[in-house]
Amino acid sequence: MTGNPSASAGSRFYELVRILTLRNLKMRYRGSVLGIYWSLLNPIIMTTVYSAIFSATFARYYQGSALRYALAVFIGLVAVNFFSAATTSALPALVSGGLLLNKIKLPPAIFPLSMVAAQSFQLLVGILPALAIITVLISRNPYHALLLPLPVAALIVLSMGVAFFVSSLYVFFRDIPYLYELVTFLLWLTVPIFYPVAIVPEQVRTFLWLNPLYPVIESLRQIALDGAMPDFRLIGIAGLESLGVLAVGWLVFAANRRKFMDFV
Amino acid sequence: MSDPVVTLKGVSLERWMRDEYAYDLKNQIFSILEGRHQKQTRKAVLSDIDLEIARGEKVGLIGPNGAGKSTLLKTICGILYPTRGEVFTTGNVVPLLELGAGFDPDLPVIENIILYGVLLGSSRKAMIEKVPEILEFAELQNYGSVPVRVLSSGMAARLGFAIATDVQPDILILDEVLSIGDEHFKQKCRRRLDRFWREHVTVIVVSHELEFIRQACDRAIWLENGRVAFDGPARDAVARYLSAIEREAMEAIASLR
Repeated sequence: MTGNPSASAGSRFYELVRILTLRNLKMRYRGSVLGIYWSLLNPIIMTTVYSAIFSATFARYYQGSALRYALAVFIGLVAVNFFSAATTSALPALVSGGLLLNKIKLPPAIFPLSMVAAQSFQLLVGILPALAIITVLISRNPYHALLLPLPVAALIVLSMGVAFFVSSLYVFFRDIPYLYELVTFLLWLTVPIFYPVAIVPEQVRTFLWLNPLYPVIESLRQIALDGAMPDFRLIGIAGLESLGVLAVGWLVFAANRRKFMDFV
Repeated sequence: MSDPVVTLKGVSLERWMRDEYAYDLKNQIFSILEGRHQKQTRKAVLSDIDLEIARGEKVGLIGPNGAGKSTLLKTICGILYPTRGEVFTTGNVVPLLELGAGFDPDLPVIENIILYGVLLGSSRKAMIEKVPEILEFAELQNYGSVPVRVLSSGMAARLGFAIATDVQPDILILDEVLSIGDEHFKQKCRRRLDRFWREHVTVIVVSHELEFIRQACDRAIWLENGRVAFDGPARDAVARYLSAIEREAMEAIASLR
């Protein structure tokens, strides 16, 4: 073949994911690098609106600071927005890659992964620096910013797992997008994004931990907004839950991998 | 046979029937609840195929539509996995594709060349170096930065051919011989394909043009209902296939009377 035939399967996989990710990014930004920073616009506007409406009531749960409330909302929003954008864009990826899968021998996983990767690029270049700035300013401990990549990595791993799961379901059930919209809305509502977790009844609060986004977002907030030592237990829970979701997603994907070709 | 580059041992392949499948979770759940759920069925497309192809052989696949010719090619390419049996290949198996329809219309021509080259197995770096050569063959030197959407369908087909044939295969897989564009470009296509024939490349080609199979191939395999009906010299395979079709037609006419 034109390439290096001795190239290992791993480097070929990497090359394929990279080229598809680049294509996704090019399609999205069409030459304008500033496009990445548009992704900050939505959470900023939403944060402003939430703050205007709720901060008078909820600020007392955030050391009486409207700013802290706003930042907690912002952190929650960027994380949830990333998750839903990454998984929703990965959902149809296998089916839209079906034409290629039927013509060229390709590992099917590259299609959902490259969607998550394109969103992750935006997360790392556009949003992570913003989170780092917030962390340095609010926690007043620049070292905390060095820990931010841990929950961010957990968030990406989590999204990969869900992307594998939903993209393989979509091959067989084309009405999944409607259901998945409902699921993302439920996930969005059951992470305390714009409300303090303290207002949730004790009995219900335990169930919030079932939402794998919850430990990720709590960990991000704790690192960024709390002057105290980052809670490694929280980071650990976020990491483990994400790896668990990835394992389940991959198992579902791998179990159906050969069946995809007959249905896409 | 010495030095086989493609070996199929007892290959059977079943595919899930998609035409009667609803693709709908809601309906599936309802039909299970109402007790009228039908289990998905699988249809045998290839049955018990044994095959050995030697290095440098030119093999034609013939048979009616739906006999499993394209499925067999996809199995050799590794796109489909056999349900039973095993497939072994040595060297680079390169499918020669009709890419014209698969381009990303909004990406520039050069980006599409790199994208498809990488998908077909090249590295990004190697493809960037090859861009001028491919543009030249497709006669699109002045269109490098233009989105593919702007190209005429003939131009896109030329581009597809130029990318797909810019390869060094050990085993070349052809699903119908591509000949596209105007008479001038068709000549170019043929010359490029001839090169694969002259070089010691193994070629497996599906075609309905029996005359081409008879002339260009050493050997032909006649597939009928997913089974090998005949495997031997191309001349004999074509003759037997044709007389079977004739016999069938005669029988059809006789049954009308």
